[in-house]
Amino acid sequence: MTTLDLAPASRRVTRLARTNTTLLMRNRLTLSYALVMPLLPLGLLFLGDRGNVDAASGVIAAGFLMALMFPIYYNLLSMFVSRRDELVLKRLRTGEVRDVELVLSMALPGVAIMLVVTVLTVAVAMANGLPFPLNPLLLLIVVLMASAAFAALALWTASWTRTAEAAQMTSMPVVLLGTVGLLRPALPESAQDWLSLLPGAAVSDLLRVAWFGRPAELGTTTRFDFWETWSHSAAALGVLAAWTLVAVWLARRSMRWEPRS
Amino acid sequence: MTQHAITVSGLRRTFGSGRNAVEAVRGIDLSIAPGTIHALLGVNGAGKTSTLELIEGLARPSEGEVRVLGMDPINDRAVVRRRTGVLLQRSGFVADLTVRETLQMWAATVTDARPVEECLAMLDLEDRAGTKMRALSGGEQRRVDLACTLMGRPDVVMLDEPTTGLDPESRREVWRLIRGLRDEGATVLLTTHYLEEAESLAHQLSIMRAGQIVRSGSPAQIVADHPSEISFTTPDAALPAMAHGLVRHDGNRTLLHVDDLQRELSELLRWADSSDVRLDRLIARTASLEHVFLAIADEREPAQPTPRILEGSDR
Repeated sequence: MTTLDLAPASRRVTRLARTNTTLLMRNRLTLSYALVMPLLPLGLLFLGDRGNVDAASGVIAAGFLMALMFPIYYNLLSMFVSRRDELVLKRLRTGEVRDVELVLSMALPGVAIMLVVTVLTVAVAMANGLPFPLNPLLLLIVVLMASAAFAALALWTASWTRTAEAAQMTSMPVVLLGTVGLLRPALPESAQDWLSLLPGAAVSDLLRVAWFGRPAELGTTTRFDFWETWSHSAAALGVLAAWTLVAVWLARRSMRWEPRS
Repeated sequence: MTQHAITVSGLRRTFGSGRNAVEAVRGIDLSIAPGTIHALLGVNGAGKTSTLELIEGLARPSEGEVRVLGMDPINDRAVVRRRTGVLLQRSGFVADLTVRETLQMWAATVTDARPVEECLAMLDLEDRAGTKMRALSGGEQRRVDLACTLMGRPDVVMLDEPTTGLDPESRREVWRLIRGLRDEGATVLLTTHYLEEAESLAHQLSIMRAGQIVRSGSPAQIVADHPSEISFTTPDAALPAMAHGLVRHDGNRTLLHVDDLQRELSELLRWADSSDVRLDRLIARTASLEHVFLAIADEREPAQPTPRILEGSDR
């Protein structure tokens, strides 16, 4: 039964996702946020001294986190809330399409932008004398897992966001959750350990391991080889996986498809 | 011989829990034969939409059973959805899409969808195809909505107040469409609070009040056992004793409820003639669905004012 259902399901998801992409393209403001915000930090790569991996990895992590915040998180949050309030989701749910397919079709355009940003980041980094990612598979896993986590957090946030305008406020906690990890170098060590448990921090640590083969601590001379990147990413991957599971659990139990009457 | 298209038994639906619980559907039974049009009729709050949502599989009943084409709309969701078309009382569209794009988006969700151009033609939307949804009138949006409902060539169509908010011309157009569906063999279940709509479309009616079906049958059956009415401005002369019927007064008018309209009317006119009494503003009419409906809606709480049956365009 499940295998029989898969073909029409994936057809529905891809075709709906295509419409959602068209709509994203049409909305200039959302699109520019989705593309410009993640790519903006990359400009710093041209300013810093070439080949400084600590500085470069910080800049690249900032770009990735912006991509998680804007095209993935905020875009899905505002799309879900406005479609829900306009009763578009309620209407679609009377048809053949299933809930999980609807969610996927709305999240996929953001994930696609995330992947485009990843590819552009690699290109810009190499143009600035940085190496090609050491473990691209690990990098891809991190990107996809983080996308799932922040997409799920978007659905959870949507459940207690009353209007699309209110999303500007209600998105704050998750935005902090995602970005505060970037401040670690400026904070005392005792706080750094705790902040490392946040999803954004885990993403930036994993990025350093997967791309540059370096541990989370800055200024070390330690270099991992390809195989070591797997074992040295286990802890941060565990943190990210835990956040993903919690986010999906939160989203599932709080899902609301209709506006409050 | 044939299985019913829709059967419902002992259906109940409760909102909330504990002391705040409200039972919106209180034990409903329904059987709808294939290829017929069935109307659920009732004032607002009678439980029509709550009932319909259970049959559509959008909500789970607290008690009772629903079968659509012999299947459970929730457990057999995939098969049932492929063969049913639903129109919600209120629904929305992405304002930034054109009519054609909206139909294409819906087509993405439908197995073996009718071509979009055919849908446009069917609902007379061809010249609006390139218009953004935000620029459509309420009636045009309703037509797009209906086009979505019918895109999968459904065997069972469930329409929640399909013509509410439409102008009279569009309403008749929708009626024509619904009759067309029946002619092609589809089964239609609709809710309405327009009595003429129910009367002109439906083979079977179920009149709902407070979550229950209080009367059901064909429009003719429902009207049949209801008395006819004669009314006129109350004359100065005292009326003769009526052999059969009931006399009421409503302001300065006299109302007679009679079973045999022709005989009682003749008697009345003969009396008026011979007594030289003038019956001003004389009206005689067979019972209409409206009479029955008002009587039913009033039955338990006769003190209430006339129910608001013909609002509608205000939503």
